[in-house]
Amino acid sequence: MKTFEEEWTAWVDGQLSGPELSEFEASLPDKAAAEAEKTGALKLGELLKRELSARTLTNEEFFSHQLRESVARLRETPAGQARERRSIWWTIPRLLWTGGASLAVFLVFTVLVMHEKNPAEESQYLTQILNARVDPVVSPNATVSIFEVKQDRVTVLWTEGLQSLPADYAAK
Amino acid sequence: MGRFPAFLISFIVLTIGATPALLGAETVWSGLVIAENVAQPKPIPTELTRIEGSLKKFFGYNQFQVIGQSQKILKTGQEDWLATSKFFGLHVDARGETEAGYVLNLKLYKEKELLLETDTKLSKRSPLVIKGPQVGGGQLLLVLVVQ
Repeated sequence: MKTFEEEWTAWVDGQLSGPELSEFEASLPDKAAAEAEKTGALKLGELLKRELSARTLTNEEFFSHQLRESVARLRETPAGQARERRSIWWTIPRLLWTGGASLAVFLVFTVLVMHEKNPAEESQYLTQILNARVDPVVSPNATVSIFEVKQDRVTVLWTEGLQSLPADYAAK
Repeated sequence: MGRFPAFLISFIVLTIGATPALLGAETVWSGLVIAENVAQPKPIPTELTRIEGSLKKFFGYNQFQVIGQSQKILKTGQEDWLATSKFFGLHVDARGETEAGYVLNLKLYKEKELLLETDTKLSKRSPLVIKGPQVGGGQLLLVLVVQ
């Protein structure tokens, strides 16, 4: 058993026929008003169809645009990957350039550090005599002096007055 | 890989590669040397060639002969050793290492008699020469060199 709304929808869509149509039209209180409403509904349907067609066109264009972009991306990807590969594996000239530049920077830093250190710390690179003692009993008149030969960076502890010894003491 | 990381890595590798040359155990050569003036001087020992000019100029002798020597590899800077000849002994007692060299206590003995004692900071770049007693017509020298 169909409801009135279902029969109304079928009537508007022209799907009722035969005794079913006659019965439904007979049941309508105001057939003229119903016909007017049916005409309006059909017009509305046509309008909606037109609008829906236009939207479908818009979607087509949208999807078409999306597809074109995807294709373009796919076409660009191999080239991009190739570029990345090229950037990962350095060429020999680039490696040489980097190595040379690094070495130059290292040398510059080394020279600068050495240059800064040398004036202030030159004395600590020369051997220093902290103290010196001679046995006062064995060599009562002995004295000690300290010299630095900067040419060869030699430090000399010079003693005077030590007990002289015979040549036999030079034996190995 | 960008240029900067590669540059940084190269720099670090070069720096690390150069560093071991600046570190490590050192060998100290200590010698008892007789300096003399002779008509036909013998060639100077290889250990002294580095300071040959200074020795000749400073002490005025033309021949330098090693009568006793010792080579010691310093690992901790706390080692001690002895360089001896028939009559002399040089006792070296290392008492620590600094950035520039080693702190050493030196004692020169004539047989069992202490002739001279000194404390020194021996630089890795700077040899030490000590003028000892006169021996015959020559001079006893004590030489310490970080090789």
